[in-house]
Amino acid sequence: MTITRRDVLLGATATAALMPLAARAQTSEVVIGVIYPFSGASAQQGVDAQKAYETALEVINKDTDFDLPLAKGEGLPGLGGAKVRLVFADHQADPQKGRAEAERLITQEKVCAVIGTYQSSVAVTVSQICERYQIPFVSADNSSPSLHRRGLKYYFRASPHDEMYSAAMFDFFDALKKKGTKINTLALFHEDTIFGTDSGNAQAKIAAERGYKILADIKYRNNSPSLSAEVQQLKSASADVLMPSSYTTDGILLVKTMAELGYKPNAIVAQDAGFSEKALYDAVGDKLEGVISRGTFSLDLAQKRPMVGKINEMFKARSGKDLNDLTSRQFMGLIVLADAISRAKSTEGEKIRDALAATDIPGDKTIMPWKRIKFDEMGQNNDADPVLLQYVGGKFVTIFPPQAAIAEATWPMK
Amino acid sequence: MNSIFDGGPGVLTAEAIIQSLASGLLMGLLYGLIAVGLALIFGLMDVVNFAHGEFLMISMYATFFLFAFFAIDPLLSAPLVAAAMFVFGAVVYLLIVRFAMRAKANAGMVQIFSTFGLAIVMRGLAQFFFTPDYRSIPQSALGGKTVSIAGIFLPEPQLVGALLSIAAFGALYLFINRTDFGRALEATREDPGAVALVGIDKNRVFALGWGLGAALVGLSGAIMAIFFYIYPDVGASFALIAYVTVALGGFGSVFGAFAGGIIVGLVEATTALILPPSLKSVGIYAVYLLVVFIRPRGLFGSM
Repeated sequence: MTITRRDVLLGATATAALMPLAARAQTSEVVIGVIYPFSGASAQQGVDAQKAYETALEVINKDTDFDLPLAKGEGLPGLGGAKVRLVFADHQADPQKGRAEAERLITQEKVCAVIGTYQSSVAVTVSQICERYQIPFVSADNSSPSLHRRGLKYYFRASPHDEMYSAAMFDFFDALKKKGTKINTLALFHEDTIFGTDSGNAQAKIAAERGYKILADIKYRNNSPSLSAEVQQLKSASADVLMPSSYTTDGILLVKTMAELGYKPNAIVAQDAGFSEKALYDAVGDKLEGVISRGTFSLDLAQKRPMVGKINEMFKARSGKDLNDLTSRQFMGLIVLADAISRAKSTEGEKIRDALAATDIPGDKTIMPWKRIKFDEMGQNNDADPVLLQYVGGKFVTIFPPQAAIAEATWPMK
Repeated sequence: MNSIFDGGPGVLTAEAIIQSLASGLLMGLLYGLIAVGLALIFGLMDVVNFAHGEFLMISMYATFFLFAFFAIDPLLSAPLVAAAMFVFGAVVYLLIVRFAMRAKANAGMVQIFSTFGLAIVMRGLAQFFFTPDYRSIPQSALGGKTVSIAGIFLPEPQLVGALLSIAAFGALYLFINRTDFGRALEATREDPGAVALVGIDKNRVFALGWGLGAALVGLSGAIMAIFFYIYPDVGASFALIAYVTVALGGFGSVFGAFAGGIIVGLVEATTALILPPSLKSVGIYAVYLLVVFIRPRGLFGSM
C-alpha cells in the first residue's frame, strides 16, 4: 500500500476533528489512583479504606447538601461537572509492590493523582514515583514525620504527623502533672517499620526535652508469633505510662500477653493505628477500659456538627462500622484532592499541585476537629490539631485538648 | 536501647530470665506441635507441604466459627477440628498431591508448586469468605487465665497447649512404633515399591499420613485460637517457624520436630533478652546455620 498526499491530509483532518472530542472525553471523567493493602496482613485496613473512599466519592459525584467542598452539585464544577473515578491498587504492605503499582497507575491507568497508603513505609516509595512523574500524592493517613521532610514538591498531607500527635500526648501529661498526678516514667513499645520507629524516636525526643524518664524503649518485630519476652521487659520496667505504637495484630497480641503475664500499667497512651481499630476492641476491649489513644477524629464532633453523624451513617451503611481515625482521614483526603482538581480546572499534574498548594479550607467545612486545611511549603498541614480519646464504656470520648474535650480523663485506667 | 547493655533498671532480673525461659519453653512446645505434621508428611513421602501455614489458618477459623455459632469452647472443639482436618488432609492428598507425584519430570517442582498454589488459593478463599477482619475468641475456659508460681506467670492456654503437645507426641510415638498402621507408615517410607508386594495400598497409607499430619495441625490451631488473633494470613509467620523447626530437628523426624520446637522457643526467648526484640528471629536462624554447619541433615535427621 502506498500512502498518498491525500491520505495524509485525510488522516490529519480526521485527527484534528477528533481531537476536541478526545479532550472532552478526558475531562468528563477524572481518574484518581487509590493505593492500599487489599491482601496480606493488613488487608482489613485496605477494605475499610475502600469503603471510606467510596463514601467520599458519593459526596463528590452526587448532589448532597453537606457543608463540604464539592458536596453540592454533581461532579467537579471546575471541570464542567466531570465525575471522579477511582482505580484501586493493592500494595500488600510492601514498599516495592507500592512502587510498581504506583508506576502502573500513572502510566497505564493514566491517573491524575494518587492517594494512599496506610503504611508509612509504602508512602515513601509511592510518593517518590509520583514525584518523578509530577503527579500529586495525597498522604491521607500516613503519620511518619519524616515523610514530608524529603523536599518533595508533589507530596501533601492534611492530617497531623506523629510528632504533632506525640507533642499533644506530652501536653496532656504536663497538664495532668500540674494537677498533681504522678507521671515521671514512660515505657515505649513500638514496631520496627518506619511508623513505629519514627513514632518511638519522636516520643523519646520530646520525653528528653520535657524531663520524662524512659525506663524501657522496646522495638519489636511486627507480626511476631509471640510477644511474651517483650511484655516481660515492659513489666520489669513498670513505668507510669505505657506508650505503644502498634498495628492491629500486634496490639491484640500485646494486650492479651499483658493480661497473661499479669502486667497492668497505670495508663496506656497509644499512638493510634491498631488502637483505633474496632477489631482490637472486639478482641480485647474488656481489658482496655480507660485506654487513651491519640486521634484526629471523634464521633463526639457530631454533637456540634451534625453532618459528621450523617456522613458516618453513609459510611456505616457500606462498611458496618463507624468512621474511625483512619477512615475519617481517608474520606477527608479524597475531598481535599478532588477540590483541588476542580479548582485547577485541569487534570495536569502540575496544575493540580499548584491548586493543592493553594488549598485553604476552614475547619468547619471538614468532618475533622481541625482549625483548617492549609499546606506549608513541605506539603504539611500544621493546623490539624490532634485530639486524645479515651475508651470508656465501649466508646471513645474526647479528653484533650480542653477546647475539644467533652469529659475529664480517668487516670489511672481501670 | 533495650538490651542488657544499657542496664535499664530492673530489666534483667533473675525473675525476668526465668519468666522468659518458661514462656519460651511453652511456646516452643506449641511450635513443635505445629511443625510435627510437616515432619511426618515429609518423612513419609519426601513432600514439603507449603500450605502448612494455611492448614493452621483454617483450623483456627474452624475453632473460631464453632465458638461463634455454637458456643463450643476451643478446648472441646479441638478434637472436632482435628477430626475435620484429618479428612481435609486426606482429601488434599487424594485430589492434589497424589496427582502432583505422578509427574514424570521435575516431580519435586510440581509438588512444591501444587502445595504452594494450594496455599495461595486457601488464603484468597479465606479472605473472600471470611473477610480480612481480625477475629479472636474473647471468652473461653482458658482464655486470659494465668497460673502464677513464685512470681512466674504461666498463661493457661499455652500451658495446656504445651501439655497437649507432650501428650500428642507421646501418642504419636506409640502409634508409629506399636500399631500396624504405624508399621505400615514406616515400611512405606522406607520402600514404597516393596510394600505393594505385601498387599499394602501405598495411596491409602499416604492419605492417612496426610490426614494424621493435618489433624495434628488442627489440634494446634484450636489451641492457638484461644490466645492468638485470626486472619487469612495468620499461617505465614507460624509456617516459617515450622519449616525452620523441621529443618533444625531433622527432616522427617517426629522426635526432631519436638526437640526443634523447644530449641526454637528457647532461642527466641533468650535472644529477645540479649538483643533488641526486633532481632529475635535472627537468633533462631543463627542457630539453624550453626546446625547446618555441624549436622546438615538436622539434629535428629536420619537420612
